[in-house]
Amino acid sequence: MKALDIIRDANANLWRSKLRSFLTILAIFVGSFTIILNSAINAGVNDFMDKQIENMGGEGYLEMMPTEAYESAMSMLGGNGVQEYTDDKDSTNASAYIKDDQIEKAKKIDGIKVFNVLPNSSADYITSSKTDKRYRLNLNLVVEGISFDMSNGVSPNTDKNAGYEIAVNEDLAKALGYENVADIVGQTVKIAVPSTLKCYTAVKRSECQTILEVKVSGTQAPGILSMGGSRANLTLWNRINAINYEGMPKETNRSYQATADVDPERINEIKAKLEEIGLKAMSVEDEVGMFQSFFDAILIVFNIFGGIALIAASIGIINTLFMSVQERTREIGLDKALGMSDAKVFLSFTAEAVMLGFWGSVFGIIVSMIVGNAANIIATETFLKDFPTFKLTIFEPLTMISIALVIMFIAFLAGTLPARRASKKNPIDALRYE
Amino acid sequence: MESVLLSTRGLKKIYGRRDTKFEALKGIDLDIESGESVAIVGKSGSGKSTLMHLLALLDKPTVGSIKLNGKNTSKLKSRRLNRLRNREFGFVFQSFFMNANDTVLNNVILPLKIAGIRRSERRRRAMEALKVVELDDKAKNKANDLSGGQKQRVCIARAIVNNPKVIFADEPTGNLDSATGAKIEDLLFRLNREKGITLIIVTHDEELAAKCGRQIRIADGIIVTDDTTKKSIASGKKAKKVTEVKK
Repeated sequence: MKALDIIRDANANLWRSKLRSFLTILAIFVGSFTIILNSAINAGVNDFMDKQIENMGGEGYLEMMPTEAYESAMSMLGGNGVQEYTDDKDSTNASAYIKDDQIEKAKKIDGIKVFNVLPNSSADYITSSKTDKRYRLNLNLVVEGISFDMSNGVSPNTDKNAGYEIAVNEDLAKALGYENVADIVGQTVKIAVPSTLKCYTAVKRSECQTILEVKVSGTQAPGILSMGGSRANLTLWNRINAINYEGMPKETNRSYQATADVDPERINEIKAKLEEIGLKAMSVEDEVGMFQSFFDAILIVFNIFGGIALIAASIGIINTLFMSVQERTREIGLDKALGMSDAKVFLSFTAEAVMLGFWGSVFGIIVSMIVGNAANIIATETFLKDFPTFKLTIFEPLTMISIALVIMFIAFLAGTLPARRASKKNPIDALRYE
Repeated sequence: MESVLLSTRGLKKIYGRRDTKFEALKGIDLDIESGESVAIVGKSGSGKSTLMHLLALLDKPTVGSIKLNGKNTSKLKSRRLNRLRNREFGFVFQSFFMNANDTVLNNVILPLKIAGIRRSERRRRAMEALKVVELDDKAKNKANDLSGGQKQRVCIARAIVNNPKVIFADEPTGNLDSATGAKIEDLLFRLNREKGITLIIVTHDEELAAKCGRQIRIADGIIVTDDTTKKSIASGKKAKKVTEVKK
């Protein structure tokens, strides 16, 4: 007997007791639907997270601060914030700066491609010719070689000789008077940069501010990680820094932050080495990690539900096939009398179980895709409205096929029990069975 | 001597153990020649069905040997036995044993499907077999919609579709009225006569037994008489030979 005949017969046998087969398939469907929808949501969230990570600066991107500064910041956040003072040099606030020897050591670490020490730069506000209002500006630096998820225009030019460029988020663009967000691309906006030293003595803040004209290179969709920040290119960043520290001794312009572009494969090893020289490094994944692990926990719970449904469905398969074996005892006897081997009888019943699993998976895939895509449409119009790049569910063919295969394998395992009973039947006894 | 198809020596079949021990066959020596039509006659519980099951290689004897075409079958692996049954034997049962919800054609195809023959080929051969039993016009019908006589003819078509050497028939007319029963008998004997298929019929119907070339009477697990009548057409024997077997 050929494999194709076995599969065809298994399918035909399912039709002989339609309701019973349907109910068994329904039980499998509940499990497969849950698991497939879960995996689609998981894929959607991961995709969104990946986009956010890209937005923040890619997978090989590390942000560093001195361990003392990090711990001090963490103790402020989590603990009571009280730290004992000693005369030891490390206890002074000066230790919160990245020291020259740390920079030298860090640059020698294998796997670090680019090591940037960020000068501190801060601006007061941003405004445009279209509005009288001024808005607080939270600036980040565009990191060279990292692609950004831009909703309009392009990422700010990172060339050394580039003009001042900035990318703003869509909300800010609207506030600046560009109702149609795309219109702001290529326009010039004004940024007020304070000179710290002058501001100590100035009567009015405006007296110590320098106004810079900056070109908007593009806009960014709002995301949970960009936090409404805007991004400046290096020329702008350095210019702002120069204004900030105008007239001050060089030591005061010491950095407390550094970034590095490293080999993503070795990121953990590099983080450990940086820790040794007193630098606390955080990857974007570390920052995203919190949110993701919370989400993963929810999905694991749902997957457990799906798994339990599948176990129940497996018992259903066993039950259905035992009934089928009982009903078809004489048929099995005839098949064996006519020369069908035990192995083929076994295969034909397990094939039936696999077909049950197959149809349960197929319906699970179809229905979860309908439900998932509908939920997607509703979500983008309601609670995910502010995150246009967030697709709630993404259906990956490979994932769905592997889930279906796993379910079919589980069905096969469930089918082995009744199939064994069928294959062990004696043809004579089976033919005598009334 | 003509070619001996099936040959048994000292065949015993014992069911159960110790207290419940039951000897269904107590030592059967039998030679069946190719082309014979043999009736195995006896009351229920005599052991005639057990004998047929052993001859048809559906069961194994407790003691003794069965030779098919001179080859001892007891040493054959189950795979070989399955293939032998599939290729050399055809079966006709009292209560038909058909897949009632399947079509007539698919029922006839079954042995060929088990043999793994190509779809187009097995379709052609099944239609040929249905033509022999004059049911080719009912090929697409559901097996359940046929009358008893038609069902048994479908079973005969199924039995001959693989061009077997032997047809084992277990009370082939037991569930039929005498008129339809006679038609089935004619069909079986025609196959015996025209195609030279050896016929082994288990029955308690004396009339049917009388139509066979040879009657083997069984009681309490042993052969009581073994008659070869003048009607043995295929072997062409005229003389009546009676062998009395001592109890």
